[in-house]
Amino acid sequence: MNLFSRGIRNAFRNVIRTSSIIIILALSIGLSIAMLAAKQAVQDKIATVKQSVGNTVNISPAGFRGFEGGGTALTSDQLAKVSKVSHVISVTQMLSDRLDSNTTNLQSAIEAGQLGQRFGPGSSDTQPQLPTTDSSSSSPGTGTNTITRSFTPPVTITGTNNLSTTAAFNGNSAKITSGATINASSDENVALVGKALAEKNNLSVGSTFTAYNTTITVKGIYDTGTTFGNGGVVVPLATLQRLSSQSGAVTSATATIDSLDNLATATTAIKSALGSDADVSNSQDVASQTVEPLESVKKISVFSLVGAVAAGAVIILLTMMMIVRERKREIGVMKAIGASNAKIMGQFIVEALTLTILGLLVGTLVGIAAASPITKTLVTNSTTSSQSQQFGGGPMGAPGSNAGSRPVGGPAFRSIQQTSRQTLQNISASVGGSTLALGAGLAMLIAILGSAVPAYIISTIKPAEAMRSE
Amino acid sequence: MLQVNNLSKVFRSEGGSVTAVDDISFSVDDGEFASIVGTSGSGKSTLLALLGALDSPTNGDIIIDDRTITGLRDRQLVDYRRKTIGFVFQNYNLVPNLSAVENVMLPMEYAHVPASERRKRAKKLLEQVGITDEKLQRKPGRLSGGEQQRVSIARALANKPKLILADEPTGNLDSENGTMIFDLLHKLARSEHTTILVVTHDLDIAGRTDRTFKLKDGKLQKK
Ligand SMILES: Nc1ncnc2c1ncn2[C@@H]1O[C@H](COP(=O)(O)OP(=O)(O)OP(=O)(O)O)[C@@H](O)[C@H]1O
Ligand SMILES: [Mg+2]
Repeated sequence: MNLFSRGIRNAFRNVIRTSSIIIILALSIGLSIAMLAAKQAVQDKIATVKQSVGNTVNISPAGFRGFEGGGTALTSDQLAKVSKVSHVISVTQMLSDRLDSNTTNLQSAIEAGQLGQRFGPGSSDTQPQLPTTDSSSSSPGTGTNTITRSFTPPVTITGTNNLSTTAAFNGNSAKITSGATINASSDENVALVGKALAEKNNLSVGSTFTAYNTTITVKGIYDTGTTFGNGGVVVPLATLQRLSSQSGAVTSATATIDSLDNLATATTAIKSALGSDADVSNSQDVASQTVEPLESVKKISVFSLVGAVAAGAVIILLTMMMIVRERKREIGVMKAIGASNAKIMGQFIVEALTLTILGLLVGTLVGIAAASPITKTLVTNSTTSSQSQQFGGGPMGAPGSNAGSRPVGGPAFRSIQQTSRQTLQNISASVGGSTLALGAGLAMLIAILGSAVPAYIISTIKPAEAMRSE
Repeated sequence: MLQVNNLSKVFRSEGGSVTAVDDISFSVDDGEFASIVGTSGSGKSTLLALLGALDSPTNGDIIIDDRTITGLRDRQLVDYRRKTIGFVFQNYNLVPNLSAVENVMLPMEYAHVPASERRKRAKKLLEQVGITDEKLQRKPGRLSGGEQQRVSIARALANKPKLILADEPTGNLDSENGTMIFDLLHKLARSEHTTILVVTHDLDIAGRTDRTFKLKDGKLQKK
């Protein structure tokens, strides 16, 4: 029989009261643990997204809106300056062009579709009608020729000096499914052709096609897993610059920085090197924009955590104050028979701890059960509301250009936004060891905060209380 | 062994002040069994609380074995209550969720008596006051008033105090039980050579003590 066993035993003097307090406490502790887990899950997710985005800086001509027009192409000279910026490891340069029936014998793998017909830029006067007559007549209800304009979807040709980035493949990662890759720094008339385009035009490794009145040899077929990605042609940068008579022109570039830490500095340096000729943004900006809803979920979870801990502390505080008041005379008696303040406080703190630990045990179960649903609900609610605003972008990989949203990035970044958005909601919170340890620490904090005032009250109770008869 | 010099206690409140103990001086010898009598409100309980350092006097000194209690620091006062004084209350004041033995062990724990000795001594004391066997494990709620007061006497004796202060120990008991409790106190005080100061309004009981002090309106009346 000592201070500890007395404290624990006293916690059960009033079983009904003790049970109700434990239940209330368990709810607040459970919420704390769930919020800790939510915060951890969201934090991990943010880190993963930022990590996966990598340390690249996207450079595009100022005012450029893909094939919608705008801007003047960048030059290789300008990009040479970028290469000299410190921390820049490499600069991937890209030139994109569109091949239509005037410039190639290739047929697009992409059907224009009803919307394509309506929005497509072509007109029957200027464009020869190749397969489009088929598709327009085969779709009933589209009306007459006056409404349905003939439009042949063009074939995108991309010149790049680096095939290892996703940018060349419309922002997707690509696999060579047959043949071999090409030497991106060469000037040969060779190409990688998307799987869909190859099928449409019966191309295989070794076949040739015509573009810009030049015969180009297919060296490999690639697969990106998306129809748009598989509809393109990829050639060495120098080749496309020569064939399309755009010597030294570049429509987008991606600089890779040595480390994430230097990304911001390098971005600023690149901006000042290029001046107003280029729009410069880094991948982390895009990532930050993407994970913005997660940041707010993190904030919500931190606020809720603090709130839940405070609520727990208040519950213990009020309970202990009630108990101390109730046992005022008993405390006086203990003092009269020789107990020090410290001994009595110790006993009551053990009592508070007993209630808290039981609350923690039950609360842990509550927290484990609630962590994932709460996290999912928070994340889903906050990401769906911002998704529609961020989504968008012109055809063929133009930057996200919805009214009001900042124009960021090219094809590569669009894919980052897309994939990270998809993975954002794929989040689950689990209550791990560290979360539990932290939860237990918080519970102890609750007990100590909640015991402080009662302990003070104990110290002010006079031993003469023992003399009072009721 | 106990000497009280010009002791006063004034309670101040919004409604004015009450002088509960008014300039009292007296002394009690070692091993003496003394009683304090007086009408209700005459200041008996207040005097006992001052002697047991449960409250501090407004004026005057309390000297026990040449040691002045008044003016001691808090920690020394705790030590004084713990080792020098044993208290017996009118309404027993046992801790309700501790058994008889545990109640008697409590002051020993506060006085840092080794755990193994506590239970042994508690059982021995309870045996002396006639609490044995399964009654040792009973909580106060399941003991009669007389039995509770016997447990509380055992508790008061736990740390071998020099002075036992008993505030109407028989006040809540019938005369038969009251006499038994009184005799028990008397006997134990004799065998342990403990000084006892007992407050009572039972003049029969007072008459059987070595000396009786009479209080009236906080003042000591010389007989
Ligand atoms: N804490 C207090 N605050 C104010 N006045 C008090 C306090 N304690 C006692 N008194 C007053 O002091 C006086 C003496 O009270 P005390 O309790 O010592 O009387 P008593 O002799 O023990 O009476 P009883 O026989 O009824 O127990 C009374 O007038 C009482 O109202
Ligand atoms: Mg009294």
